[in-house]
Amino acid sequence: MGFTMPALRKQISASLAVCLLLAGGWAMAQADAFRVRALTGVFDGELLYAEARIDYRLTATVQQALENGVALVIAQELRLEKPRWWWRNARLVELDRRYRLQYHAISRRYVMTWLASGDSRSFRTLDALLQELGRIEAWPVTRAERLTPETDYELRLQSRLEVESLPRLLRTVALTESDWQLESQPWTAVVER
Amino acid sequence: MTDATRQGLVRIGLSLLLILSLYLLSAATENTARFGRLYLWLLLLNGVVLVALVAVIVNNLRRLIRSVRSREAGSRLTLRLMGLFAVMAVLPGLVVYGFSMQFLQRGVDSWFDVRVENALDDALALSQASLDQRMRDMQQRLQEAALDLSDVDEGMAPIALGDLRARTGASELALLGENGRIIAASSIDTADILPHRPEEGILLQLRQGRPYVGLDPIENAGLHIRALVPAPGPDGPSGSRVLQGLFQVSPRINDLAAEVEDAFSEYRELAYLRGPLKDSFSLTLSLVLLVSLLFAVWSAFYLARRLVAPVSRLAEGTRAMAAGEYGKQLPPGGNDELGFLVRSFNDMSRRVAEVRDAARQSQDLVEAQRAYLETVLGRLSSGVLALAPDGSLRTFNQAATAILSVPLAEGVGRPLSALAGQYADFAPFAELVARHRQTSEAEWRAELSLNTSDGRRSLICSGAMLPGEGDRGGEVIVFDDVTTLIQAQRDAAWGEVARRLAHEIRNPLTPIQLSAERLQHKVAGHLQGEEASVLARSTDTIIHQVEAMKEMVQAFSEYARPPVLQPQSVDLNALVGEVVELYRSEPEQPEFRLALADDLPRLEADPGRLRQLLNNLLRNALEAAEGGDCVVTVATARGTGRHADMIELHVEDNGPGFDESMLDQLFEPYVSSKPRGSGLGLAIVKKIVEEHNGIIGARNTGHGAKITVRLPRVAASDARSGENQ
Repeated sequence: MGFTMPALRKQISASLAVCLLLAGGWAMAQADAFRVRALTGVFDGELLYAEARIDYRLTATVQQALENGVALVIAQELRLEKPRWWWRNARLVELDRRYRLQYHAISRRYVMTWLASGDSRSFRTLDALLQELGRIEAWPVTRAERLTPETDYELRLQSRLEVESLPRLLRTVALTESDWQLESQPWTAVVER
Repeated sequence: MTDATRQGLVRIGLSLLLILSLYLLSAATENTARFGRLYLWLLLLNGVVLVALVAVIVNNLRRLIRSVRSREAGSRLTLRLMGLFAVMAVLPGLVVYGFSMQFLQRGVDSWFDVRVENALDDALALSQASLDQRMRDMQQRLQEAALDLSDVDEGMAPIALGDLRARTGASELALLGENGRIIAASSIDTADILPHRPEEGILLQLRQGRPYVGLDPIENAGLHIRALVPAPGPDGPSGSRVLQGLFQVSPRINDLAAEVEDAFSEYRELAYLRGPLKDSFSLTLSLVLLVSLLFAVWSAFYLARRLVAPVSRLAEGTRAMAAGEYGKQLPPGGNDELGFLVRSFNDMSRRVAEVRDAARQSQDLVEAQRAYLETVLGRLSSGVLALAPDGSLRTFNQAATAILSVPLAEGVGRPLSALAGQYADFAPFAELVARHRQTSEAEWRAELSLNTSDGRRSLICSGAMLPGEGDRGGEVIVFDDVTTLIQAQRDAAWGEVARRLAHEIRNPLTPIQLSAERLQHKVAGHLQGEEASVLARSTDTIIHQVEAMKEMVQAFSEYARPPVLQPQSVDLNALVGEVVELYRSEPEQPEFRLALADDLPRLEADPGRLRQLLNNLLRNALEAAEGGDCVVTVATARGTGRHADMIELHVEDNGPGFDESMLDQLFEPYVSSKPRGSGLGLAIVKKIVEEHNGIIGARNTGHGAKITVRLPRVAASDARSGENQ
């Protein structure tokens, strides 16, 4: 039989993966990898802005992938909702910001590209990049006039690593491995005009 | 549609579904863009299928093992076939799997070449080295420019920067104040008003007085060299102004560097992704293999069972046939050899059943014939014996037992001589048969007188050889009891004789008597002395003898007289007691021993005739005693066996017994060995018995003679009806 030990080990690990999958354990999101630390809604003139801080921490696996040329896409999802006691909240605003993180080998720098505009900034260290990524300042949410005065609105922010945007080969792994399940708990702040 | 076909269709459908899901799974592995979302569900679906298959297989296996343990028909063959199929499916599958795995690992690894990797690393290093030189130049240029700004205040800075930018060839120059505040900027691109801000770390480094130079890949603008140097203002070197310059790399170098960067990062990415690639391929391959193998094993159960089904049905059918359940039909199989076997079995079974039915019919026929023959034989008044070729008794009929008075049933399968040894009365008959068997005559006839327990019997026997296997078949012997016939002839003859004698003799007797009396009356007065006494003696003698003759004639006429019975209920025991009392005072002082049955039923008979019968029997017994001590035993009993509805009366004496030569004619008139008596006693007894439809027999016991009378409990209606006619 032409089995080599690694092949056998792969087979076993593959079977194990299947078993884990079947044991009902979807890979659980890595706890606290991303964490929304603060979120506030600020009315400045005509507009409602969101100000927030998100702590980003990449797992070693993800960091390794990044350093090996894999581009990561991190999405920040901002929602403005009007609570309804009798039904699901009415969603007024749905905003997404998606950033691509890349390692540039020649310059030895980490590049962060805002996918909506194509603007990019590069950083000498990953920490600097993540810090910058986590600083959300003056994100325009909506015009203030759309909101009924003296009514509570809920601002909700969540950030996650987009597994679907990973290279296809990595996706199958990312879908089954918890190291790749980077997602923050949604953070809610109450806004009143 | 049969159950098996439906199952087969279900399996085909399932396997198509499975193939589709496996195809989707592999497609999802290949191209996640289309099936990426599906991948997990497909994994889950296949996983569920896997578990379901394992469960089904375990269940099937358990069922199979149970049926093997209980030795169900075909179960061992199913197990063997199933094992064979499983091995045939699993072994090649595993071999292919092993090689595929190895090829997968090796193949993926072989895409990555160490030399290519080194070359790419070197290319990167080369690019970096070539850019490093340029970076140092740019830093130098910027430091010189910063010196020029030392006496320029914030107000003049934009103008100075514009000049400096043109002189240094930078694409952007910016003068930054504390905390990176932009004091002034000049850019080659007029549309881009805001300069690129450096990050905090670099500013920190500059605050410590160290200049910074580095590459900055800027989206859509290519690679730039960013250099930052301290630019002390007019207020002295303590100021924290910083001059930032962005220099474009020459387009050619930029393009080359971009290409190197792309190739390098692509290669790095690929090299990094080979692990996940192998993992996901292995996972898919393992899953596909596992599901396929399990499906194959599951199908092996089905196939084995389907293949074995006709065989096990055949086995069951054969078992049923062996158990005698002929005519069992199996459901027809396919068109293959097994189907042919099943059809042949069905044909055979049907034919066996037909043969069995035919055999049963003929057996029934034979049985009916036998019953018919037995009934006929049973109804025959003649006795019939059949002997086997070796002389043993084969069959007999009821009449044979009755006539021979021997339990022939005991002698079946044994030679007649054995029975003769057991029952001495039977010996003459056995000897007769043996004699004729020895002569090997085809047919013979003989007369035989047999002394049975029921009295002496005259038999006419005839024997014939039976057609049989070999040179000698069996023999059939037919014999008739002609005792009564002979007796009847004799009785008829004697009746006629008696009637004539009575008529012929009685007529002259009265004139003789009257003549003698008149002779004495007339002549006696004329004679004297001697003559007178002679006359008196002679006439007396004549008169007495005539009187005796009259009595005798009277007895004869009595004997010849047709019976006139007046039957009524009679207690035989009481009658016996009554009659015996009369004889107790006889001069011989006879001793009577009575053995009367207690529960004797009453008889329907003529008491007068019965009394006469008893009288005659007792007198006969007393006369037989010849003056010695006379002991007469009188016994009554219920009949047994074939005489069950009769009452028996036995009278036995202790005399010398009957003369053997006389036994045949014992009950005929004037057959007597005794000096006294009329000679009609036993003849009259027999007549009375026959009037009552009874049977009489006489035989010698070891110490005297014994007469047995059997009377039916209900008097013969024939006799009465005869008398009424």
